[in-house]
Amino acid sequence: MAQIRRLVVDVLKPHEPPVLAFTQQVGDAESIAGINATLLELDKEVQNVKLTIEGEAIDYDAIEALIEDAGGTIHSVDQVVCGEYIVENAPTPQD
Amino acid sequence: MASNSIRERIGIDKIGPIARRYFVSNGFDGALTGVGITVGAYLSGVPDGFTVIKIGLGGAVGLTTSGVWSVWEIERAEMQAELHDIEEAMLTDLSETQVERDKTSTQVVNALMSGLGPLVGLLLPLIPFLFEGAPLSLFQATLLSVAVTVGVLFTFGAYMSMISRQRWYIAGIRMGLAGIVVAVISIFLPG
Repeated sequence: MAQIRRLVVDVLKPHEPPVLAFTQQVGDAESIAGINATLLELDKEVQNVKLTIEGEAIDYDAIEALIEDAGGTIHSVDQVVCGEYIVENAPTPQD
Repeated sequence: MASNSIRERIGIDKIGPIARRYFVSNGFDGALTGVGITVGAYLSGVPDGFTVIKIGLGGAVGLTTSGVWSVWEIERAEMQAELHDIEEAMLTDLSETQVERDKTSTQVVNALMSGLGPLVGLLLPLIPFLFEGAPLSLFQATLLSVAVTVGVLFTFGAYMSMISRQRWYIAGIRMGLAGIVVAVISIFLPG
């Protein structure tokens, strides 16, 4: 199977742990080379965070387990990039 | 920062404002109970310092157990309520996650600090009674015990002033005064 090189997931998490600690914890996964966490929405009890993860061979299950251990849940997988190199989303006339 | 790292290593960073409140509030209870016990014991005509220590230790056991037990139950209920609210918002079960572990560790720290306060507040004023007989008379030990209690209360006040950024000696005097007030009330109590 092709290795995952980039993963964009939509995560719902409680306020604790804060985004900083949460991102560091998820970023500790061995298969992750870099991670970006962007706060999308702030609610009374929860936060909606978009995680952009890059690596040579991202282990989705390990990342999901780390997110869930930190109290978060993956709401949707918004982008997956697999293969030898990262292929960006190509613009089409419909865009 | 080095100081932050030391605080993290010995776990002081986990002592939040609620734990501080429990510690000082219950420490205040312990110290004032200590004054009541020591002055009351002296005025009742106890034969020696060891008897005062035994009475004081009984009080310390009671207050410390009360501090730990009550706060454990209060914090457990609060923790479960908070967790339930978050679970409702997340539509997921948060058992065995870091969220639950963090709340449990806060519960443990709060309960321990709640018990440590009265233990410190009551045990320190009993120390002078260890020296009753040899260098101190029972009266002197009682006076010294009240002074130690006032010192403990002063320290609590000065410590709280670090948070509120008041003048430390004013905050210390405000707290320390309570020890003297209780000692005076105990002297004038009937019997």
